[in-house]
Amino acid sequence: MHIDHTHRKWFTASLVIFGVATAVYVPYAAHSPGGPRGGSTIGLAFGIIGSAFMAFAGLLSARKNVPVWRLGRAQSWMRGHLWLGLLSLPLTFYHAGFRLGGPLTSVLLWLLIIVVASGVFGAVIQHYLPRVMTLQVPGETIFEQIDHVREQLVAEADRLVDGAETAEGTRRDKAGGGVSLAMQSEVAVDEAAALRNFYAREMRAFLTSGGKRHPVLSDADTARSAFEGLRTLLPAELHEMTQRLGAICEEERQLRRESRIHHWLHGWLMMHIPLSFALLLLGCVHAITALRY
Amino acid sequence: MAGAERTTKKLAQRIDLNYFKRPHPFRRWRFWLSVTAPVLAVLWLAWCGLAGNQRVYSGGKLSSAHAVLVARCNACHVKAAGAFSARASDQACLSCHDGPIHHANQTFTPNCASCHEEHQGRMQLASTADASCTQCHLHLKTSGSPTKFVRNIRSFGSAAHPEFAALRPGAIDPGTIKLNHAVHMKPNLAGPNGPVQMDCDNCHRAPTSNQAFRFDSATGMPVTIAEKSQLSIAISARAYMAPVTYAKHCVACHGLQFDKRFTESAPHDTPQVIQAFLVQKFQQYIGGHSNELREPGPDRTLPQKPAPLSVRLLTRDQWVAERVGESEELLWRKTCRQCHALTLAADGGLPTVAHSNITARWMPHANFNHERHQMLKCTECHSGALTSHETADILLPGIRTCEKCHHSGADAAEARCFECHTYHDWTKQKEVKGKLLLSGLGCGE
Repeated sequence: MHIDHTHRKWFTASLVIFGVATAVYVPYAAHSPGGPRGGSTIGLAFGIIGSAFMAFAGLLSARKNVPVWRLGRAQSWMRGHLWLGLLSLPLTFYHAGFRLGGPLTSVLLWLLIIVVASGVFGAVIQHYLPRVMTLQVPGETIFEQIDHVREQLVAEADRLVDGAETAEGTRRDKAGGGVSLAMQSEVAVDEAAALRNFYAREMRAFLTSGGKRHPVLSDADTARSAFEGLRTLLPAELHEMTQRLGAICEEERQLRRESRIHHWLHGWLMMHIPLSFALLLLGCVHAITALRY
Repeated sequence: MAGAERTTKKLAQRIDLNYFKRPHPFRRWRFWLSVTAPVLAVLWLAWCGLAGNQRVYSGGKLSSAHAVLVARCNACHVKAAGAFSARASDQACLSCHDGPIHHANQTFTPNCASCHEEHQGRMQLASTADASCTQCHLHLKTSGSPTKFVRNIRSFGSAAHPEFAALRPGAIDPGTIKLNHAVHMKPNLAGPNGPVQMDCDNCHRAPTSNQAFRFDSATGMPVTIAEKSQLSIAISARAYMAPVTYAKHCVACHGLQFDKRFTESAPHDTPQVIQAFLVQKFQQYIGGHSNELREPGPDRTLPQKPAPLSVRLLTRDQWVAERVGESEELLWRKTCRQCHALTLAADGGLPTVAHSNITARWMPHANFNHERHQMLKCTECHSGALTSHETADILLPGIRTCEKCHHSGADAAEARCFECHTYHDWTKQKEVKGKLLLSGLGCGE
């Protein structure tokens, strides 16, 4: 999500809530006998509000899974998730009086810290990386389709290289003249062999490696040099084909870049979402046991 | 170039339109992690539950005093039958400890846990926050008669705490023993064996001090009844200075000689006891020295007119009465008066001696421990001791002296209320019958 001027209201509201909470907490903490406690009226209020914010942030997942529900715009939910989820951290600290407490409460606080920190990381990443993606991956595709697209690129490259030999043979036949037929055929095979060898040894390995780094073709500059060297070995008729093969390599590089950026963009969710569920569950247990004890 | 051939249509045709029906491994991993994390959390709690470990729900480490109860939550968290709540109640605390009331006319009695907050780590439960005290003492209200105490105390320090009551304007030392500290601290005082330089601890020591006093009775003078009554005020341990007594601190220099015929002193006791002692001593004496019943009369010799030497012949009773009278004159008018406030009887009877009124504790509502401060020179705090001439001078250091070290901040000595004050009136303490068992606490298991 891009954090821009459309967040101003949420930002202001969050700042106000944080300010009010702090204004309540400071005198409360200063004058509470024995210090601030989660079980006091004010401490409990902080806990309830913080938990409500967490629950709201957690409901984003439900909202996303049922997009047809008319429960406000998805963007509003996302903004609420971001700002109220962030606010839940200081409110929970005010609830806990900046103490970790026992095992369950310690786990809860650490989970909250990790969840909020990963969320903030995700928000920052999602603010900047989409622009990077647009600039660096003009041929962006659907992330889940990368392997499928890659298979098509390999098939396309195979077709091009197979067609190159045929085209070269035809060209030799037409330009035969006084050279014997056997000699012409030998030369054609030799000229196409350089392309075939390069494709089989370097390019196909690069395209089918599943994203592993290739010493030559993973880098745009070294790849360009390699293709230029190859072109000097090939007749002019095959130059265009070489160029198309180079473009396929460039597409593969973009797919790799997209995959890498996608992992940064969404990898944090591997931590954020599972721990959020654990946090909400343990939070409920904490609420019940705290009321009991 | 391949890119040039990538029309939108061609690019769209590359997409498998059913891709969303087969979740990508990335999504699958996220789903399974989202299931696993809460399941692990539930398993953790279930495991703790099956192991009977309720500590997982603890609000934090127990205090040092209660550390032994760490695995016995129900020692404090007693659940009434059928009730959901198992909060630690005052009854649970009072079953092991008594907590006497603070003041009879207090308007508010806090719960035990509101001041002694548990589950805050290895701390002392008595180390309560100032807010525990100031919740009442900031705007003190009392039931019944108006209080004599200051009503608005915020914390310790001259700006927030009143000066000690003994040092407020108009307060004087109620003691009647005449003592001039400045004179006693002068160099080359006449001591029992020559000139001496006295030091504070020659007189001021803790009651449990096991070192001999420099100027106590060389003859093992017994502590009299009056002095015993003073010593009974003495406080245990080494926190306070024992009240000064004649037998321990004064006798070596301030002997009670009453007659040149005797080397021993009169007892340091009531006039009645002293008089009886004198009569007995002189009666015993004259029994062995009957020649002294013949006393030379007054010398009436005039110049150039010698007169015969006259002799007074006294009975034993007359002689004893005269000697006792002379000794009493010496004692009542000079020796005793040097320190005591005596009122002589108009009819020549025995004088009345004012009660010494030595103050054993200047701050009855606060605690102080001299032993904890023994690294300091006495005069650092009792600065007036070297210059005080009057008995009425109170040499107790004021709050400004204390706050030089005891103030807020990490680089200061403790300055919270509990450092000096005790909430519970332990004079009203009741005995508690213990109920817990060692096996129940898990000790020795």
